[in-house]
Amino acid sequence: MVNLTIDGKAITAEEGTYILQVAQANNIDIPTLCYHPALEPFGACRLCTVEITSRGRKRLVTSCNYPVEEGLEVSTNSEAVIKGRRMILELLLARCPNVPLIQELAKNYGIKKPRFKLEDDNCILCGLCARVCEERMGVSAISFSGRGLDRKIDTPFHIHSEICQGCGACAFVCPTGAIKLEDITDKEPRPILSEFNAGLSPRSAIYVPFPQAVPKVPVIDREACIHFLTGNCRICENFCQAGAINYDQEDEIIEADVDAIILASGFDLYDPSALEEYGYGKIKNVITAMQYERMISASGPTGGQLQRPSDGKTPKKLAFIQCVGSRDTHYKLYCSSVCCMHATKEAILANEHYPDLKAFIFYTDMRAVGKRFQEYVARAEQEYNVTYIRSRPSKITENPDNGNPIIWYEETTARTRTSMEVDMVVLCQAMIPSGSIKDISDMLHLSLNDYQFVNIPDRLFQPVDTEIPGIFACGFCQAPQDIPDSVVQASAAAARAAEFLSKED
Amino acid sequence: MPRINSPAELEELRKGILSKRDPNKPCITLCSGTACHASGSAEVAASIEQELKKQKLSDKVDFRMTGCHGFCERGPIVVIHPEGICYLQIKPEDVPEIISQTVKGKKVVERLLYTDPTTNKKIIHESEIPFYKNQERLVFGSNGKIDPKSIDDYLALGGYSALAKALSQMTPEQVLEEVKKSNLRGRGGGGFPAGRKWEECRNAPGEIKYVIVNADEGDPGAYMDRSLLEGNPHSVLEGLIIGAYAIGSHEGYIYVRQEYPLAVGNVDVAIKQAEEYGLLGKNIFGSGFDFTVKVHRGAGAFVSGESSALMTALEGKVGEPRPKYIHTVIKGVWDRPSNLNNVETWATVPLIINKGADWFLGIGTEGSKGTKIFSLVGKVNNTGLVEVPMGMTLREIIFNIGGGIRDGKKFKAVQTGGPSGGVIPEKYIDLPIDFDELTKAGSMMGSGGMIVMDEDTCMVDTARYFLNFLADESCGKCVPCREGIKQMLDILTDITEGRGEKGDIELLEEVAAMVKDFSLCALGATAPNPVLSTLRYFRDEYMAHIEQKRCPAYVCKELISYYIDPEKCQACMICLRQCPVGAISGGKNQIHVIDQTKCTKCNTCFEVCPPRFSAVRRLSGEPVPPPVKDRVLVRKKG
Repeated sequence: MVNLTIDGKAITAEEGTYILQVAQANNIDIPTLCYHPALEPFGACRLCTVEITSRGRKRLVTSCNYPVEEGLEVSTNSEAVIKGRRMILELLLARCPNVPLIQELAKNYGIKKPRFKLEDDNCILCGLCARVCEERMGVSAISFSGRGLDRKIDTPFHIHSEICQGCGACAFVCPTGAIKLEDITDKEPRPILSEFNAGLSPRSAIYVPFPQAVPKVPVIDREACIHFLTGNCRICENFCQAGAINYDQEDEIIEADVDAIILASGFDLYDPSALEEYGYGKIKNVITAMQYERMISASGPTGGQLQRPSDGKTPKKLAFIQCVGSRDTHYKLYCSSVCCMHATKEAILANEHYPDLKAFIFYTDMRAVGKRFQEYVARAEQEYNVTYIRSRPSKITENPDNGNPIIWYEETTARTRTSMEVDMVVLCQAMIPSGSIKDISDMLHLSLNDYQFVNIPDRLFQPVDTEIPGIFACGFCQAPQDIPDSVVQASAAAARAAEFLSKED
Repeated sequence: MPRINSPAELEELRKGILSKRDPNKPCITLCSGTACHASGSAEVAASIEQELKKQKLSDKVDFRMTGCHGFCERGPIVVIHPEGICYLQIKPEDVPEIISQTVKGKKVVERLLYTDPTTNKKIIHESEIPFYKNQERLVFGSNGKIDPKSIDDYLALGGYSALAKALSQMTPEQVLEEVKKSNLRGRGGGGFPAGRKWEECRNAPGEIKYVIVNADEGDPGAYMDRSLLEGNPHSVLEGLIIGAYAIGSHEGYIYVRQEYPLAVGNVDVAIKQAEEYGLLGKNIFGSGFDFTVKVHRGAGAFVSGESSALMTALEGKVGEPRPKYIHTVIKGVWDRPSNLNNVETWATVPLIINKGADWFLGIGTEGSKGTKIFSLVGKVNNTGLVEVPMGMTLREIIFNIGGGIRDGKKFKAVQTGGPSGGVIPEKYIDLPIDFDELTKAGSMMGSGGMIVMDEDTCMVDTARYFLNFLADESCGKCVPCREGIKQMLDILTDITEGRGEKGDIELLEEVAAMVKDFSLCALGATAPNPVLSTLRYFRDEYMAHIEQKRCPAYVCKELISYYIDPEKCQACMICLRQCPVGAISGGKNQIHVIDQTKCTKCNTCFEVCPPRFSAVRRLSGEPVPPPVKDRVLVRKKG
């Protein structure tokens, strides 16, 4: 450990660390451009220069790569330092006058307009991109080429790289947005789609699945993580101040002796791609109800704005198709029970966000059977510009000029066949018991009914008991139901389990 | 070649070589250094061989092609031994006469001798020529006696005796102490005490250490290292092996710039011959000390002469400097202790070991010991490579050795230290050559470039020239150097092209101050020196360019105009015919006029106008008078 002072503050630091690291750990701010905690210090931008007094001599050195020594006196903002920093920023601003980061830094140091001829570059040659590609990704697809004023970031021989792995780390660390992946590789980067946001936004390989996750701790997706795929990167480890990242973590198999089991494995969404006539996956502006939910949510990827996928425009005419996959001899025979109500809610929300918006719900039967559900549906019609059309559309096509979906349907009450062009279609897809139900039921020797839900032998008097005493099932895994009903069943299952456990045998 | 296994065997071999050489046998030496090569010494060599064969003298007369003699102004240089008769500027057609008259006839060919410009007397012997007489050619002097491709020539002069002494009579620590005591300072520009550097490297943790010869000599106009490496490669090798012994290194690198193929060739031959004699490799002189050396060629960048950039290049990466807060003697090539020194520094080491540190301390000034080789170029009469003791004044070098300013012009300044250095004006011409004195005056010793300037040199243009060089050679890694030099160059170009504005100098000084203190390596940190130095001593020239749009030296083309004085023009039509762009109109008896819109300022008319007329004038900072209406010439009588 060595003792030094930074701006008069006495600090103890580990030998071998650099002044900048020590300053940052002590909340002393030194500006940087080419520094990155996960990369070797580069010393190129010179912005982190500080004035030191070492062995009686005053010197100007870069703090990112000057090792601390005993008795070092550091000044991060002496007159000489500030003057030099200002000139560096003025020069950079002359080179990159339209880069927001440089504009911001220059403004902080009082520079309005550089006294030099202006160029229009947006690369500050900090090298972060090339360095992350070499040091952390082990690829070196891009590097510096040329010398002096010809220096630039490039691929070997200025051709598209064969070895670029399309990870996008270069574009991610670039402080100015100068790196464009399409300049480096022909490969199209495929973002990792966030499951929670129904594929509407990307997520990183290390991520917290959703804000309410329990435990609220990031998890690494081994199939997307560069470290697990190539052995490189590990940048997240550099940033975790708690040192909590452990790439060697194994799945833990916990064995527990229990006396009762409650099954609450929930539901999955049925993928409507199977219904090719609706064009999900082909027609851009046909989305699922879950995607709509994420879009209309204020905490979702679009901040609550309805932005249709093809062009981001707000739909004025919105259609909901019910029973997509439900009540269908080809797919699921049963009614998923919640879709009529959630479609109504979604249509109301749309109109609340956009008063001009008209919604059309194409239904088979309105299942508004809960408490005050019928009144809710009536209000939608009367106050929120929602029109209910009794029909199950036969197909959806696309208007090639503007990407509008066109719904082809028969109005069963009027017995006319017609079409309607809308701006966006929401498919209320069927809900199915969660994918794990087959394995769990096999393991527990439970049978599934004809609709693949957990069998409840006596629905009337023992609605949460399975065939096996001590194993209870609640919620969607045993029958389609909404949240209030699931909550009731959950309480029931808990009570039944308590009752079961209290019996001595 | 027999392997030399001990110092005693070395002396045996040396005696053997000398015994086979008759000091009285006639020998023709021809300088084949780079400059003489360019002046045609290859053709002279062919002519000598041919003539010797023709006169059936091939057995009776030795012919040796040597390294650079230094008097490059007057090459090709031929010296006839044993008399030591020196002939200058030899052409192939002079050769028959030389052989017949001097070699056979023992008579001097007067017209080929050096003529002293002050006394008009002919001088016969090389050592008496003022150019040589005033030098102290301790390191460089052997060049004239050695064929660089012959290790035996080097041995004949006592070569490798220092190595033998070091390995057999001294411990590594003693060698180190001797070099430390001698106060030898690096000859590459930094002037850092070599002994201290060696010591730090020796004490650095790590078994594997490297010693490196920096032969990346990149300063424009500097070719001392080239001539040393081309002409006497063994002196460098010997010094390197001694240094490796002192430091504890067994592996060496010689980094030669791409543009020196002759040096690489000669060093390769030297290494091979040394290996054959067992002077490189395992168990040198039976001492148990092993050492091998490899030659590494540069790739055409000035910046890779910077020590950390050079080491990065040795590792196979792009030659870019890296931070040296942890010295390269501690972590250098492959993060191992690496001691880098300049060619001349290494070549000086055998002398110090043989003659002792005390001898070395007796030469030079308090702070700068020994001699230094300079490439004396520019507006002097005698351009070439000179070696002088530290402490000799600039005046002595330029006038006594250099023969003064050519064409009778006036001395204006001398530029030392290349692109990292500065100019020294007349008022400091009595400054002694000394690391610290030159730095105090705003310049630096540098690697030894010494460019003499006269009244026809524009100081602003000089600064612009060096900045242009550095802008091209900057690696571009750090902002101060890359962007700072660019902007300084921009301002200077504006000034030299007539677009200078008030405030330019202040901005120049502001940028220069930042570049000096914030650059990553010495290239950037010393880049402002030419600008700051010329501003310090010739600020008035800058002001003239900016305020009056005038170039006092008549160099900056945008600021000068050529004008034919109608009072003096005699309509001889010489300039009219010679003008490459046909800008001059006129005829017999019609006064000539230059069309300013066509004139390219090539200076031809100025040069060809007969001196007795001197009708062409250069104007700067004033408008060109309009052509006279009546252009009929009235010839002057008499």
